[in-house]
Amino acid sequence: MKTRKVLSIVLVLLMMTAILAACGGGAKEEPAAQEPKEFAFFISHMTNAFTIELSDAVKAKAAELGVNVTVNDGGKDAAKQISQIETTVNQGIDGIIIEPVSVDAIIPAVKAATEAGIPVVIVNQQISDPSAASAYVGVANKDGGALEMTKAVEDLGGKGNVAILLGPMGSDAQIGRSEGYKAVIDANPGVTVVFESTANWTTDEALKLVENWLQSGKEINAIVAQNDGMALGALKAVEDAKLQDKIKVYGLDATPDALAAVKEGRLAATVSQSTTTQGLEAMNTVYKLAMGETVEPELLVDFTLITSENVDEFL
Amino acid sequence: MKGESGIKKGKLGENIRELGILIAFIVIIAFLMALSPDAFARPSNLINIVKQASINGILACGMMLVIISGGIDLSVGSTAALAGVMAAHFSHPGEYPLFVPIVIALIIGAAVGVVNGIGVAYGEIPPFIITLGTMTAVRGVSLIASGGAPVFNVSKPFEYVASGFLFGIPLLAVYFLIIVLISAFILTRTVFGRRVYTIGGNETAAKVSGINVRKMKIMVYTYAGMLAGFAGMLLASRTVSGSPTAGSGYELDAIAAVIIGGISMAGGAGKWYGTVIGALMIAVIGNGLDILGVSSHYQLIIKGAIIVFAVLIDIKSKSRNV
Repeated sequence: MKTRKVLSIVLVLLMMTAILAACGGGAKEEPAAQEPKEFAFFISHMTNAFTIELSDAVKAKAAELGVNVTVNDGGKDAAKQISQIETTVNQGIDGIIIEPVSVDAIIPAVKAATEAGIPVVIVNQQISDPSAASAYVGVANKDGGALEMTKAVEDLGGKGNVAILLGPMGSDAQIGRSEGYKAVIDANPGVTVVFESTANWTTDEALKLVENWLQSGKEINAIVAQNDGMALGALKAVEDAKLQDKIKVYGLDATPDALAAVKEGRLAATVSQSTTTQGLEAMNTVYKLAMGETVEPELLVDFTLITSENVDEFL
Repeated sequence: MKGESGIKKGKLGENIRELGILIAFIVIIAFLMALSPDAFARPSNLINIVKQASINGILACGMMLVIISGGIDLSVGSTAALAGVMAAHFSHPGEYPLFVPIVIALIIGAAVGVVNGIGVAYGEIPPFIITLGTMTAVRGVSLIASGGAPVFNVSKPFEYVASGFLFGIPLLAVYFLIIVLISAFILTRTVFGRRVYTIGGNETAAKVSGINVRKMKIMVYTYAGMLAGFAGMLLASRTVSGSPTAGSGYELDAIAAVIIGGISMAGGAGKWYGTVIGALMIAVIGNGLDILGVSSHYQLIIKGAIIVFAVLIDIKSKSRNV
């Protein structure tokens, strides 16, 4: 009985010490770090060429600057990304870059970071409250969508039926690119949208969807997909139906397989969002902020249209 | 006499269930034909539907055996992805003969199946848990094996495996048909099949009557795994790329096909042709609604409703037998 009591008191004391140490420990890392050394990059997922390219660029710049960057994979889960950010902020870090899973959900975590004196750079998809972060490096998805649709409409001569493949509904990229599409289509009354549906960025969903659209009897002259993964699925369906001379397919992302398809003359065009540049600039910007420099709140990187004419520059 | 009529009612009850599903199927087709008279019933579209039902149908055949044996397999989607990634790795133009990626896909599928089977049979881990574990882990392996992005640049012969035709019939449908016939044969004409039903119906009785339940379970999960590997290879051929994120949710469609087909989740019962109807029904609905331009979100709601409805019929017909 007595030993048990003593043991429990000792355990409780140990626990209390640990908790107090942890609370106190949060502050122990910081200020007076002469040279910023430790950074963290939170990416929404690592399951396609785009995210891998982005992450590689961030790491490359970090190596060039002589600092460390840890990449945290959010697994497309907003709650997971929030936990990752909170944990890192708690342990102390010189700066963080976030490619957000959700443009709304992570805002509290972003605010917590900036309030702890940690510079936050958002990359590629802007959060819905830009003032919460220190800076944004990325693209205006609207421009990418507009660029892609403009080329499609041009190729159609301003007249024809277009089918659109969307990304996951409500994602920043989907909303932005759709806005861009709409602007171009509204300006071209000879163009009609005959189908518009989401294929969630995936090749097999796009393949099935386009296969079925081609059965509907409605004439389709161009298929515009919000990313290359879906564009390649659409392309396969079109080629299987032997309609490649009647229907042009457009993508966005400039992934290696899309570039190869453009080179082979199968994919009409894709759009590069200068993923590498975004990554390099994001790392550069957060480093500058950690060094105490001021930066532009927004750094927009250009989209580039890639067709068979200029594809060799990108291969 | 009471016993006899009890048995009769049982058979009738089961037949009513399958008949009900067939009727529902015909009604849905008639409905879609009415809504899209020119497009839906065209031969080219019907071929399309069968093509689109095939990969899910192949997965459903394996799932059917697992469910009849009293288990479940959540890992088939991930297994398909890993098999697809590895098959794509080995099917770049001019590198390996065509049989190499196919055999590799089957081996990977079988390997995952064996792990599941051993977990269920010897580890006595509930099938839901072990296959949830393999589903998660195998997905991770696919991401590592592919470097996170789809493996592309596959050879023309490999693309032909899922995209070609045999006398005007899509090869995908041919594979589906062959696998359905094999699975049907196993279930209805072999001792093995009969024992699968027994294990699902009453495992203790099966054990007591001398059936090697452990070995049987491993074989059942291995069968499902191999079919998942095969389906994954077909998916990679069909999409000309081995994507680590492919097949996401495919296990749910396979389960849906089996359930809609009238096979009981409790195990021990169900007819093989139910699964075929289930797989076709899912493809028919998807195709019909795509042609009408209905958003995939509404399609999910409709699919969910049909699954619940099918299970309700199953439960009601069972309680009537009691």
